[in-house]
Amino acid sequence: MLNVNLWNILWTVVNLLILYFLIKKFLFGRVDEILEKRRAEVEEASKAADEMIEEAKKAKAEYQQRIELADEEKEQILADIKKQGYDEYERIVGEARKKGEQIVTEARHNAEVENERAKEVYAAQLADMVVEAASKIAATKHSTAQDRELYDKFINEAGAGK
Amino acid sequence: MEIKEVLKELLLEDKTLIHMPFGNGNCDFNKSIVLSWVFILVVFILILIFTHNMKVHNISKRQAAVEGFVLWIRGLAVGMLGEEGKDYATYIISVLVFLACSNVMGLFGVVPPTMDLNVTVALALVSIVMVEVAGIRSKGVKGWAKAFAQPMAVIAPMNVLELAIRPLSLCMRLFGNILGATVIMELLKHLIPVGFPVPFSLYFDIFDGLIQAYVFVFLTSLYIKEAVE
Repeated sequence: MLNVNLWNILWTVVNLLILYFLIKKFLFGRVDEILEKRRAEVEEASKAADEMIEEAKKAKAEYQQRIELADEEKEQILADIKKQGYDEYERIVGEARKKGEQIVTEARHNAEVENERAKEVYAAQLADMVVEAASKIAATKHSTAQDRELYDKFINEAGAGK
Repeated sequence: MEIKEVLKELLLEDKTLIHMPFGNGNCDFNKSIVLSWVFILVVFILILIFTHNMKVHNISKRQAAVEGFVLWIRGLAVGMLGEEGKDYATYIISVLVFLACSNVMGLFGVVPPTMDLNVTVALALVSIVMVEVAGIRSKGVKGWAKAFAQPMAVIAPMNVLELAIRPLSLCMRLFGNILGATVIMELLKHLIPVGFPVPFSLYFDIFDGLIQAYVFVFLTSLYIKEAVE
């Protein structure tokens, strides 16, 4: 019952080694391979996700910048348009003012000319009257009183003709 | 008288199964060796079936179970060995599988291979060699030799004695337990052959067998853990 021999011990050791090899190679080897593959895949996926996040952040920053630029541009355009509008306004108002002044000047000039003409007409009438009066005086003998009467009459006539 | 014959048959039977024409009987194969081949073959076939067509994605339930089992049993071994001794986990698991298969062989009506002293001696020898190799690998030959004089020089002889005591206790404990369990089962089967031995078989063949496998492996890992620290 208790006999021990080296041959059988050796074979048991060999059996154990065979079992060790089989477990290591076929059970753990295959399972570990799968686990390792899966781990690598997960790592890769998480790395890719990190990269994507990074990219998205970059894109977001870029768009933000672009939006800011657009805002600035908008302000600029508005300012430009306002300035343009003011300029146009100034120009139109200035032109209108100039035209107004011109009209006023012209009117004044016309009035002066008219005035001159009226004066000339008046002077001509006056001259005629004077000539008429002088001829009347010259045609009639007269006293100082008559002369005075005549002058008054003339003056009155002139005043009325005025 | 009948019981005596049963015991005689069980304990004194010729363990040799294959007679070799050479070596004057020293090269004969015991039953235990051939039975080991049988369960190693079975385990191999099971492993091949279970690890067949493994995939990274969309795994089958079978593969999930295998992966879970591998991680669980490795966690168990590393838990006993400690982080430093985890290189020896595969060896520990192999011994566990070997012993678990051997010890529950009684269920199939054969004599468990571990009831052959040759097997337990071999396992104990391999284990003590592994323990010392682990010690030498982690500390170097000098450190390993010095470790005999720790914690103090006086107990060095005890530590040297342990080299022999540990494998002896390992192999005798295992052998004795399986022998005892098998003998009790044979007697029970002889007493009442039908029905009655079933609960005892559950205990002696399965529970005790697995417990003994675990104890053997646990002690071996304890020694390895101690050696590599």
